Amino acid sequence: MKKTLSLILALLMVLSVLAGCSKSPAETPAGEEGKVFNIYAWNEEFKGFFEKYYEVPEGITVNWIINPSDHGVYQDKLDAALMGQSGASADDKVDLFLAEADYILKYVDNGATQDITKIGVTDFSNTYEYTVQAATDSKGVVKGVSFQCCPSAMIYRRSIAKDVLGTDDPAAVQEAVSDWAKFEAVAGQAKDKGYYMTASFASTYRVFSNNATAPWVDAENNLQFDAQVNAWMDQTEDFVSNGYTLTSGIWDDETTAQMFMDGKTMCFFGPAWYYNFSMGNAQDKDNGCFGDWAICQGPQAHFWGGTWLLAASGSDNPTMVADIMNTFINDEEVCSNLVKNEMQFSNNQAVNAKFAEDPEFSSAFLGGQNDTAMFVELAKNIKFENVTIYDQLLNEGLQAYMQEYYKGAVTKEEAMQNFLNYVNETYPAIITN
Amino acid sequence: MKHPVRRLKRGGVSYVKWGYIFIIPFFAAYLFFTLVPQLMTIYNSLFENYRDGLNQVGPNFVGLKNYKTLFSPDNSGSIGFLKYFGNTMILWILGAVPQILVALLLAVFFTSYRLRIKAQPFFKTVIYLPNLIMASAFSMLFFTLFSNVGPINQLIVQMGWADVKIDFFASTITVRGLIALMNFLMWFGNTTILLMAGIMGIDQSLFESATIDGAGPLQVFFKVTLPLLMPILIYVVITALIGGLQMFDVPQILTNGIGMPDRTSTTMVMYLNNYLSTSKNFGMAGAVSVVLFLVSAGLSVFVYGTLTKRSRED
Repeated sequence: MKKTLSLILALLMVLSVLAGCSKSPAETPAGEEGKVFNIYAWNEEFKGFFEKYYEVPEGITVNWIINPSDHGVYQDKLDAALMGQSGASADDKVDLFLAEADYILKYVDNGATQDITKIGVTDFSNTYEYTVQAATDSKGVVKGVSFQCCPSAMIYRRSIAKDVLGTDDPAAVQEAVSDWAKFEAVAGQAKDKGYYMTASFASTYRVFSNNATAPWVDAENNLQFDAQVNAWMDQTEDFVSNGYTLTSGIWDDETTAQMFMDGKTMCFFGPAWYYNFSMGNAQDKDNGCFGDWAICQGPQAHFWGGTWLLAASGSDNPTMVADIMNTFINDEEVCSNLVKNEMQFSNNQAVNAKFAEDPEFSSAFLGGQNDTAMFVELAKNIKFENVTIYDQLLNEGLQAYMQEYYKGAVTKEEAMQNFLNYVNETYPAIITN
Repeated sequence: MKHPVRRLKRGGVSYVKWGYIFIIPFFAAYLFFTLVPQLMTIYNSLFENYRDGLNQVGPNFVGLKNYKTLFSPDNSGSIGFLKYFGNTMILWILGAVPQILVALLLAVFFTSYRLRIKAQPFFKTVIYLPNLIMASAFSMLFFTLFSNVGPINQLIVQMGWADVKIDFFASTITVRGLIALMNFLMWFGNTTILLMAGIMGIDQSLFESATIDGAGPLQVFFKVTLPLLMPILIYVVITALIGGLQMFDVPQILTNGIGMPDRTSTTMVMYLNNYLSTSKNFGMAGAVSVVLFLVSAGLSVFVYGTLTKRSRED
């Protein structure tokens, strides 16, 4: 009797396990879309705006899958998900994913993303041209939109500028640093007063690399160093040996510690997202220096980063994908809120122009400067060109291996050789000699 | 059916088949999770097989090309694999030698019938504790402690031990030292407990009679404890060696995957990971794995040979 009972129980257990398998995957009935919306991202920045300003349709759960960007971890996880997209159940399919300028090409020029004009995103009249161009594949099909426009500026400490240059007026400071020779001269003056010009050896990297006239790899996939990248290496060498900069990396604690009130650094470089998302130390209540900042163009026009929303092929929520995209580029109220409440520079020219011309509008963090007006000017100079699918890890690797040289741990030749070995290991398709 | 019946007649029952049945799970697991992947690795190492962006390249059969690439020197004339093998061995020796020596000493103390250390369970737990922390968390902790703005540097400057901050991650000695220290801290407790078990397995009367015969503590250790501990010690050294050759998490996290400076703390598995992480380069990663397997096997045989030979001579 006992035996029979336990046998029945065991069978029941096995059956219940199997029952879980046989449950048919949530299929999408015609006219109705999936209940789970999956978004892949590498940080919480967009998630914050999304949760604040986007009203999720009733009955839909939004699922964030967040992996760090460093060492290409985000790309790895995303690639795995996209390559398994066709076999994934409807609830596990990637619906929307975020991509950065450094690797957006990899996803745009590929079947993993879909034409957004076919799902209902058609009005690009207000967006900045380069943001559309970046999300357009080689056949002219648009695959996504950016919710921000990212002209990058020189962000300087007003009090230090006053001490070094005698003025903190953005126009006057810009005049003093309008080209690299002047910038270097000011760095010398800052040094004499006991300040650093930049807090990281890589602070100026984007300013140079964004103005490159050739991509990282040529048509035959040979690695090439652009004159601008070489110029960055030479200038940084001088800056380090003269003590104009620190040798820590851009995201290191040592660099961000310079943003505190007692920091000794005059300049940082970055777009709007940099000072609202990455300069937390400057905004610290007790030790920060809120309001002691201002922006100007700096020695060269450039842009940095930017977050694009791309529509994954095979999504079971195309309507919501389109709705999110339209909200963040065309909804005037949402775009206004991004500028007004979040210190963003939105991807809506009309909204930006409205704030740029508003004499009442200013940024308290920047000591009353109208940053939107400045960015409207800077955005005119953005060129999205010479990009490759390898940029993120090449930029990251070059900085990491050159840092050892700037710290004095290796010679320049050793640093370059280490970088080339790194490229060989990371990207077998790139030819390095 | 004939077989068991005949045995029964002779009055004995053979349970041998149950023995085989009970070890089936182990062999099945070994077959599917170790042997097959191992053979697959060797097979994969003969192909060009990687991802370029989202596009798959290969697999194309290329024979031994991956092995040739692995052992061809770069522009500066150094062969990557040999350099990382050297790094791994140095890092292992720096950590393992003190680890085994300290563990041996502690094991002798803890088991000594003369010392009779009190609160032994407490000490055993404490020395084992570092092993319970995840290696990555431990590395992050050390990275924060020893970073340029970390507490150790603040302490050094405040106490006046040095005028300027020490950049622990810019010199080979300090980075390797930190990695060795962490491996030591993580594993000496584990080793101590293994060696204690070995020593407690030795007949106590041998120690007593040696003492009665006039042997000092050192003589007892070298003439009685060590020779009888040899089987366990060999086990400890070989497992430590294999663990050391596979060293990855501590240096990877501590150096942020760079193996700085000048790649002198890049281990073989970090090198393997470089091939695998971004491009899913199964061909090159397979070649590295196969060579790593051969090296591990060779070294294990060598260590086993030398240590058993010595214990036989003793």
